[in-house]
Amino acid sequence: MSATAHASLPGAASQKKGLVSWLYVSPLVAVLIPFFVVPIVVVVIASFLEHDGFGGMIPHFTLANYAGVFTAGLTLKLYLSTIKFAILTWAFTLLIGFWIAYFLVFHVRNQLLAIGLFLVCTVPFWTSNIIRMISWIPLLGKNGLVNAGLISSGVIDQPLEFLLFSDFAVVVAYTHQLTIFMIVPIFNAMARIDKRTIEAARDAGASRFEIMRHIVVPLSRNGIALGSIFVLSIVMGDFFVVKVMSGGGSASVVSALFEDIAVLQYPPAAAAAVILLLVVVIMIALILRTVDVRKEITR
Amino acid sequence: MKIESGDIELAGLYKHFGETAAVDGVNLKIPDGAYCCFLGPSGCGKTTILRMIAGHEDPTGGEILIGGHDVVGLPPVERRTAMMFQSYALFPHLSVRDNVAFPLRVRGLSKADRYKSADAMLEKVRLTELANRLPGQLSGGQQQRVALARAAITEPKVLLLDEPLSALDEQLRIQMRTELRRMQRELGITFVHVTHTQLEAIALADIVVVMEKGKIKQAGPAREVYAEPKDRYVAEFLGGQNVLSGKVESVNGASLVVSAPDSAAIVVPLKGRNAVHGGERVELAVRRDDIHLRRPGQQNLEPGWNSISARIRAIEYQGAFVKVMLDALGEAEFVAYVPEREFFVDTFAVGDVVIAAWRAERSLLLS
Amino acid sequence: MSATTMSIARHPKARKRSVADESKRPWTFWVLAALFAAYVLALYGPMLCIYVLSFQDVRGGLVFPMKGLSTHWFVDLFTQVRTGDVKGGFDRSITLAVIVTVLTVVGSFLAGLAFRNRFKGDGIVFYVMIGSLVAPGLVLGIGIGLLFQYFGLPASWYTSALGAHLSWTLPFGVLVMFAVMSRFDRAWEEAGRDLGATSWQIIRMVVIPILLPGIVAVALFGFTLSYDEFSRTLQTSGPLNTLPLEIWSMTLNVTSPSLYALGTVTTLASFLIIGVCLGAIAILQKRRARSLSSH
Repeated sequence: MSATAHASLPGAASQKKGLVSWLYVSPLVAVLIPFFVVPIVVVVIASFLEHDGFGGMIPHFTLANYAGVFTAGLTLKLYLSTIKFAILTWAFTLLIGFWIAYFLVFHVRNQLLAIGLFLVCTVPFWTSNIIRMISWIPLLGKNGLVNAGLISSGVIDQPLEFLLFSDFAVVVAYTHQLTIFMIVPIFNAMARIDKRTIEAARDAGASRFEIMRHIVVPLSRNGIALGSIFVLSIVMGDFFVVKVMSGGGSASVVSALFEDIAVLQYPPAAAAAVILLLVVVIMIALILRTVDVRKEITR
Repeated sequence: MKIESGDIELAGLYKHFGETAAVDGVNLKIPDGAYCCFLGPSGCGKTTILRMIAGHEDPTGGEILIGGHDVVGLPPVERRTAMMFQSYALFPHLSVRDNVAFPLRVRGLSKADRYKSADAMLEKVRLTELANRLPGQLSGGQQQRVALARAAITEPKVLLLDEPLSALDEQLRIQMRTELRRMQRELGITFVHVTHTQLEAIALADIVVVMEKGKIKQAGPAREVYAEPKDRYVAEFLGGQNVLSGKVESVNGASLVVSAPDSAAIVVPLKGRNAVHGGERVELAVRRDDIHLRRPGQQNLEPGWNSISARIRAIEYQGAFVKVMLDALGEAEFVAYVPEREFFVDTFAVGDVVIAAWRAERSLLLS
Repeated sequence: MSATTMSIARHPKARKRSVADESKRPWTFWVLAALFAAYVLALYGPMLCIYVLSFQDVRGGLVFPMKGLSTHWFVDLFTQVRTGDVKGGFDRSITLAVIVTVLTVVGSFLAGLAFRNRFKGDGIVFYVMIGSLVAPGLVLGIGIGLLFQYFGLPASWYTSALGAHLSWTLPFGVLVMFAVMSRFDRAWEEAGRDLGATSWQIIRMVVIPILLPGIVAVALFGFTLSYDEFSRTLQTSGPLNTLPLEIWSMTLNVTSPSLYALGTVTTLASFLIIGVCLGAIAILQKRRARSLSSH
């Protein structure tokens, strides 16, 4: 066999490899195209259509739906409110999630115990989110345990009203549900930090604060980014927690969208959805710019 | 096509990864039943050659013949080769016995048959009592023996070993070296072993192949490669040599005279090479254990000796000999290995000026 | 929670060590331990409350104190019309979750295999996948709903909702698979090939057994994410509700401890399912270990 005959081999081989990869990834693609790509395209198309007000869509191009969204005074208020919840929730879940992960990785010295405690954090994830949310009622309600405890200990004499069905309750419920999404990726990133780098830094005279700032935080950065993506995208896309926990007092972008759907106003809802989608994509893209998530996970 | 013997021939072998040539035109013949070591720094292409012989990598060009058959494009199993991976790649979920029996399992042998063969093989590598353990419960040396047994159970004609000793500690490495050589003799098949440790290569191999940047620099019996390196790279990589360079002053018959800074003229035998002309720069090597150290003015050198005067930079006691480092070549190393007893007859100290002398015929002209 | 701290303190090894290193424990340890304890308390406390409250008798309300002790609200849950079709929702949710789990495991395992190599277009697939993960569920639900409407297909929990669930569980499963496979040594596969195994034999005898714990994790994720999925299901489930949709409508019009009884039942159900799965795996592992040592 001549050398030139072999020369064509690797090209063919890598082509075959690519084909096999596509074969393996095809089930994923077969789900993503009809159930993500096409539906999003449908929503984008719908956002440019006129509607008859009775659930029907008229195939006639219009920008009125977008104009409607942008001119409604409510839009800005909704976005501000949703972003406020997103940022508050992100801050609390990050704060709690980071320190819990740090505690489990660096302070619990028995690895088996650390994994056990980690599982303790994940168990409630196996139960219904809705149930977990309504379970705050007996605690935070006007006659709930928190108020009862505070009154009986003499801290207050009137029950605190803001505990349930308020913005406070919304943030509590979000934090309750989503902290686990921070803990898991940060735990994963921290567990990969070579403990010897920290010992080396300590030997070099670094203070605990400096070790935190120069080693632990930078090396957990990717986990933080991944957790932030989960938390922000879930809060931005939620309407259910806001609806239930605020007692109707607050609304989110998606809850307004849901109202539109309820009265079969599809095109205006679609326009609002496209704008929301853009906002979320921009937020996530900004985070993705700071880390290579794929490299982080496959490393 | 049935491969019946383990002789290997590489002819014009190339491997490109994108723009870089990992293997750049390699020609080599390894006879059946030989122990061959590929030696070179990491990235020199030695592992790529091994993986191409094994069939885990396809060459960009050239031929690989095993037992006279071109095996390029054949799957590993049809090449009658077996590979022992650097990390051993033992299956962590299978017991030692199941690991060794794995090749027979995929060939469809019954459980009883494959366990019988596996147990026989385990006895050969003296692991019978560990047959039910998982790989994670074994020491590095034991894991290596399992890997060896698993590779050998397919009765390959060629066993390919990728840095097999690098994961072991020093003592175990020397022990396993002996073990590898014993297994090779017992199995009577070709071993191709890749390493970056020259001691390992010359201790084990019938044929040492020294590589640099995808090319073979020198291939031959261990003693030849060690004692008669062809060029500076081989001399320096195998160690044990001092390499000097200088200008040819004159060529007279069977030898030539080289002038080097800080030394009297150095006489070097030509050994059949005649393409050297006056004024040319040449490199020459002299073995470190051929260097004799004397105090200046102690006695005159008899004719037929070369010498350099130098100051001692450092002294290291090595047990059997003493390593004396001299500043004869400026920054480059110039070292004398002085037999331990001889050194302590008249001990030198760091900073002493000495005459380093060697017999002229021990100088080796490099290309 | 107190049980957790107790078990730490009583753990003989831990105590021995803590005596030895007591002086070395920095103050931050105690602060973070307290934070952890508070977090676990907040995680479990409210749920325990509703489990307890669901066992009140007919006088029971939504808050403490506990009024009586009975299973009245559980009976109420399954007999009252106003609580909706809880039983049917539960059946559909479990069936859907099982289907989603199987498809998620297969799909993300294969995609995980594919993504180990670079291939043409891998970046696009990856980012589309991330997009599917972060897209607001309701938006996606609207899109799928409109799509089915456009083609005149009836939306149902086993078609449109199944797809909607997969568009969320599959990317999640692939991400978990990535993390799992990053610990998989390619040399194992090469060794398999070297020893004469076919591609299918390598997957069956080497890859799957080694990755089994990760595959189980993907299955658990897939199951719980689907079983609990709400916003993607809302517009896609068609005329018959899944369990979260039933719970949702209950939260809107039921204000009795029936709600809590439902919480207790669904929690028990998910623990039961997960327990059975983990138990089955434990038994399989043990059997494997036994068969290892018996030879």
